[in-house]
Amino acid sequence: MLTAVSPQAAAAGLFPGQGLTDARALRPDLVLAEAEPEADARALEALADWCVRFSPAVAPDPPDGLFLDIGGVSHLWGGEAEMAADLAARLARDGLTGRIAVADTAGAAWALARSPAAEAGPQVLASRTLEPGGTEAQPLAPELAGLPTAALRLEPAAVERLARLGLRRIGQLAALPRGPLAKRFGAKVLLRLDQALGRDPEALAFRRPPTPWFSRLDLAEPVSAPEDLARLCRDVTLRLCARLEASGRGARRFRLDFHRVDGAPVGLELGLSRPARDPDRIARLFLPRLENLDPGFGIEAVSLQAAEAEVLAPGQSDLASLLEPVEGPEALAPLIDRLTARLGARRVWRSRPLASHVPERSVRRAAALEAQAGPARDGPAGGWPAWRPRPLRLLPRPEVLEAVIALTPDEPPRQFRWRGRVHRIRLAEGPERIGADWWRTGIEAVRTDQVRDYYRVEDQDGARLWVFRSGLHDHDRPVRWWLHGLFG
Amino acid sequence: MDGDRRNRLAALRTDIRRLERGTGPVRGRLSLGDPRLDSALPGGGLSLGQWHEIGGEGAEAETGAAPAAFAARLAAALLARPDQRGRSAVWILRRDDLFPPGLASLGLPAERLVGVCARDEAEALGVAEDALASPGVGVVLAEVGAVDLTAGRRLQLACEARGGTGLVILRRPFGGGKATAGGTAAATCWRVAPAASAPNLGGLGLVGLGLGPPRWRLRLARSRGGRSGAWLVEAAGTADEGEADVAHPLRLVAELGDRDLAAPAAFSAAG
Repeated sequence: MLTAVSPQAAAAGLFPGQGLTDARALRPDLVLAEAEPEADARALEALADWCVRFSPAVAPDPPDGLFLDIGGVSHLWGGEAEMAADLAARLARDGLTGRIAVADTAGAAWALARSPAAEAGPQVLASRTLEPGGTEAQPLAPELAGLPTAALRLEPAAVERLARLGLRRIGQLAALPRGPLAKRFGAKVLLRLDQALGRDPEALAFRRPPTPWFSRLDLAEPVSAPEDLARLCRDVTLRLCARLEASGRGARRFRLDFHRVDGAPVGLELGLSRPARDPDRIARLFLPRLENLDPGFGIEAVSLQAAEAEVLAPGQSDLASLLEPVEGPEALAPLIDRLTARLGARRVWRSRPLASHVPERSVRRAAALEAQAGPARDGPAGGWPAWRPRPLRLLPRPEVLEAVIALTPDEPPRQFRWRGRVHRIRLAEGPERIGADWWRTGIEAVRTDQVRDYYRVEDQDGARLWVFRSGLHDHDRPVRWWLHGLFG
Repeated sequence: MDGDRRNRLAALRTDIRRLERGTGPVRGRLSLGDPRLDSALPGGGLSLGQWHEIGGEGAEAETGAAPAAFAARLAAALLARPDQRGRSAVWILRRDDLFPPGLASLGLPAERLVGVCARDEAEALGVAEDALASPGVGVVLAEVGAVDLTAGRRLQLACEARGGTGLVILRRPFGGGKATAGGTAAATCWRVAPAASAPNLGGLGLVGLGLGPPRWRLRLARSRGGRSGAWLVEAAGTADEGEADVAHPLRLVAELGDRDLAAPAAFSAAG
């Protein structure tokens, strides 16, 4: 069966869905290629990535469509028609044939793009004010009214049922009373109609959330030199920050995308601990990471989008540069941002106490500038009880002790070997019995061998170690000792 | 003419003295808690606005527990100064094994500590430099394998930018070579080894004798403009004794001679 046909084949009378033998009979010189739906899906994904240069909000619509939310970005091209023309030209340059339509709703754009008119060139439906959720009949655009009902993204069965009653055009369908329509043809038909007319909102699965904070630069000639990329980065940041400044906002997340000639986007993410719009500072955080960027055969466009925009008092950045705070979290913010941008967010932290007896679970890592947690719960030691000895270094996983000698199984060890060195114990303190958090798991998972008896011991040199014996004493099982931490 | 020449000579001498100290202005002194310790340091205390090298001896060169504890005591005392209010400590690690509850019991509160885990040596030193030159940072503790002369100079310049104090903890990487002490740019070089502590007779020990406050064999290997020395010290007022007293980080137990230093090595060889 044919799944797709070229324009020449279509002219010869072939159509998708036609049996292979029929097609061969019609045109014996037919050239066939195996259909590859997976490859098609991958190509669509790649195209969606490529389209990010037009708008950050791109939703692939398998098998063969893409939705772009161009609200708030079309002005960068000078209008919707100009943007559509640019998209069409770029697609054509890459040897792709596409049909483009711009409309107020995804449904209407879908319908228009598949209308015969879209073959000739991009269709732009004049914008009209729609009341979302309004039930009174909106005047239907003539371009839409004339389209077949199939353009409403209906199931073939539903289209057939409508056709049997002589309903072939969207205009006819829209003229019917809503109640009987839904009863007769199902809610799906009405939903699709409403979505096309903008009466019902449609949620598209955008690759990235749409944001109004988007700016881009197109280049006449592709560039790849690092200093050019740095300048691009600065320029695009300057543009976006000027807009943020004008609206009195700062953003906490930025994403810089370089669009390569071969279509593969390379992006950098940046998270800030405080909202900012200082272009120098933001660009400087991106710059060191540009070195690792692979420009391929060249970069032809760059875009920057900001998210998590918050109101930021105007002029604050100017004031901050004059009166730089020397203390408090505000002063630390630039350093934290630099470190986070360089090392990644996981490598910069501030520790917070967590209510757990299990040592490795008693510390939570928070963002370095996260607002202070409530007051320390008990004791001056910031939430950890001061009377419990805790080591300075905690090994990532306890290391087993060898050749342990203890007087009796429930006494601290007198001697053991750890990392090839014999430690003879002078003094010991303990035990502190620590059980697993049994309430975290089912009751059947609780075993006595999860109990640990911790001792703080000092060896012949004065080195202090935190060792524990795992499990309760059992005659059938040898006692096992572990080293978990080191005191200074 | 003669007077002019003398003036010039005097100015040159001051320059040379400044160059010999090799440092910018000292931003105050931190008392170690005992006048006999402080008197060994020029100016009567650990100079702030400079960087200091703290290394371990023996097994401590790899685990870095005693040097870290010593550094934590110094950092806690430093942050407790009134002129450091609102500032943070930045602790740069190569191996991610620092346990904040242990630091808290030494007097260094976790909420004033920012942890950073660097991927390699150069990055750790770079982060240390960056942090030292940043506002809001009082003290930077960096665990690195070695600091060469260039890196040391750069650290010193970063210290001078805002008066931050650096404490570099020399820690040999796992299975790596010997940590080299090339830190000639450091204001002071310390060597810290654990020492047998006095049992805590009236203490909280549940079985037998409890452990008293930790003791360290402290050696001041090099001190710019000061003299070297060795002492046996005890962490004064840690959480073992209730409230952590950070104003006096150390208590002197005994002054040591060279012979006392050599003794523990022989002992461990016998054991």
